[in-house]
Amino acid sequence: MSQPKIAVDLILKNLTESTEKAKTRVRKASEVLLGPLETDLATTPYEVVYEEDRVQLKHYRPEKVTHKLPLLVVYALINRETMLDLQPGRSVVQTFLDKGIEVYMIDWGYPTRKDRYTTIDDHVNGYMDNVVDVIRDRHGLDQINLMGICMGGAFSVMYAALHPEKIQNLVTTVTPTNFDTDTGLLHIWMKKTRALEMGDAYGNMPGDLMNLGFLLLNPARLILDKYVGFVENMDNKAFVENFVRMEKWIFDSPDVPAATFRQFIEDCYKKNLLIQSKMMLDGQRVDLKKITMPLLNIYGKYDHLVPPEACEHLTRAVGSKDTEDLCLNTGHIGIYVSSKYQAEFAPKIAGWLKEREGGRKTADKGKKPAPRRIVGARKTETAGAATDAPQASIPEERKRA
Amino acid sequence: MEKNEASPSTAQAAVADWMSAVKNLWENLSNQGADATRNCGMPGKSQQEKLQKSWETGAKMFQAMTGYLGKPETIEGVFKGLDTAPDLMTGMIRQSWEGYFDLQRQWMERAAKVGQNTKAYSFDDIDQETFKSIRELYEKELRKFLQIPQLGLNRFHQEKLTRLMDAQTIFQTTLGEFLYMFYVPLEKTTGVMQEKLEAMAEAGELHDDAKAYYNMWIKILEGHYMTILQSPEYAQVMDNTIAAFTDYKAAKDDVLCDMLQPLPVPTNQEMDALYKDVHAMKKKLRELSREIKRRAAKEEND
Repeated sequence: MSQPKIAVDLILKNLTESTEKAKTRVRKASEVLLGPLETDLATTPYEVVYEEDRVQLKHYRPEKVTHKLPLLVVYALINRETMLDLQPGRSVVQTFLDKGIEVYMIDWGYPTRKDRYTTIDDHVNGYMDNVVDVIRDRHGLDQINLMGICMGGAFSVMYAALHPEKIQNLVTTVTPTNFDTDTGLLHIWMKKTRALEMGDAYGNMPGDLMNLGFLLLNPARLILDKYVGFVENMDNKAFVENFVRMEKWIFDSPDVPAATFRQFIEDCYKKNLLIQSKMMLDGQRVDLKKITMPLLNIYGKYDHLVPPEACEHLTRAVGSKDTEDLCLNTGHIGIYVSSKYQAEFAPKIAGWLKEREGGRKTADKGKKPAPRRIVGARKTETAGAATDAPQASIPEERKRA
Repeated sequence: MEKNEASPSTAQAAVADWMSAVKNLWENLSNQGADATRNCGMPGKSQQEKLQKSWETGAKMFQAMTGYLGKPETIEGVFKGLDTAPDLMTGMIRQSWEGYFDLQRQWMERAAKVGQNTKAYSFDDIDQETFKSIRELYEKELRKFLQIPQLGLNRFHQEKLTRLMDAQTIFQTTLGEFLYMFYVPLEKTTGVMQEKLEAMAEAGELHDDAKAYYNMWIKILEGHYMTILQSPEYAQVMDNTIAAFTDYKAAKDDVLCDMLQPLPVPTNQEMDALYKDVHAMKKKLRELSREIKRRAAKEEND
């Protein structure tokens, strides 16, 4: 066997250069890391206009309102809604405001052990329904626009099916509705393991444990390579700020109430009831055919958490004739935070809603308008508007953003 | 052996002597005790007689007991009973050692396999049998000691403790298996990298940039993880680990609740019962309040 030729001199030369570069980088990095960093999330101003238990309704008001109907955004119970307002220049909320849309967003808060019996029904027919009524009442409207994200999208689909009279247009983004797919590890693991018992064991499903599960989906990249990338770029202030901001968001993960977690896995992941219109919420069947309002369904081609197969069946299952699927060439989070899709995603929704502002393109004739209910909203320090909710006050630790 | 046989009779004689001495001592003490009560100047004759009587009765009962215990046949019986205790202990220890040796033998058989080089991007040959046999051995040989029926006032608490020990052992075993599966891609990646480097060196294509090697390594590692994470074996091991963990957590919480019970703090079990009631009441309240509003709106419309 011949002795392989190894360019030892070249390797040593490069090693010396790399060491020099590393020294310079570490010196610069210490300046960056020890200096002031702008890593705040969710800096767009808002008011809290309604509170119930741990749930808050945030209201973002544009300088000039050009859309007749406000938009309610329902985020998932996993991670927080701050992702939609990550930073100036990368904020879905800000884009909506720039387009003249009044935005309301549900902050689900941080469930504690006392929330362990809170079901999907409590979220959909309880909190969400109260929030929708508060908005309808504030604006004197029969209907509003609804946009759901991921699990919040599934909740929005359920809500629109159970209360179609209150929703004019429905937008679902990266929303899983068909769980009969083995594309994506999450689907496999949720079906083949007893993960749902974790929620019962802890009282609620711990956010940290869920995050660990997400990291295990691609350990080489998410546990190792990501931080190698950070070390290589830690002398770049803008990179460090963006990185820390994302870290803050990713690991700010509230627990999911045990009953909700169990029901979501059993009824959706294991039995796939939602897309078959067989899901039951407190005795009521979620019939997707009752979703007759226009529907825009957006998802990511490279989404490893909610793959296209989990999203694309919805438009065929609903009763609406005005539906649109939009598959973007990005992943689960990229839709909301990548600079490229910032310019495409939110403006598309704004335009789509504007087109349907005057009424449905294929409206349900003769349908009764929803009776408006006055649901207690309360005066808050930030809200400044007098309302009359009997529910709760704002604990200091919850005044986060 | 002879020495062993002789020792019980020596011990029996010593016990008999001791019993006799104690009997005499108590006879003297009881007489002195009776004299003392007579001379202590207690008021009332009946009181003195009652005290003397009870002293004598107590002394007689003790004498009877020591007399019985001092009989050679009783002492022999006691020693026979003591003889059976070591038998029991020996039996238990023998079973444990047998189990341990069996375990060791299986470890030896499997140990070589764990370190064996396995094919890249193929996880069919992962040796899960090692962990399986450890678990089986525990379940077959050692677990039964934790399942000996508990008796008496504290039996429920003891049962909870042994359940915790059992669940912890099972969890640790399954966690070991899970971590091993997680480590396998690293081992395989190292093997593939070595082969690639050898091939590159032979072809004279070695990079002079360390980053290129890292990129190669991380790509291979990711590929290995993607393969193993999607395998049914991984899902099975993950499921076992989750199930063992939830069992362990439940057992631990049970013991913790027991420990907290005497303290003036509510336990999770108690608070959960309360939360359940509150949840049901809130739901009822929501329904009622909506019904009231519906009726009010209807009346207004009418």
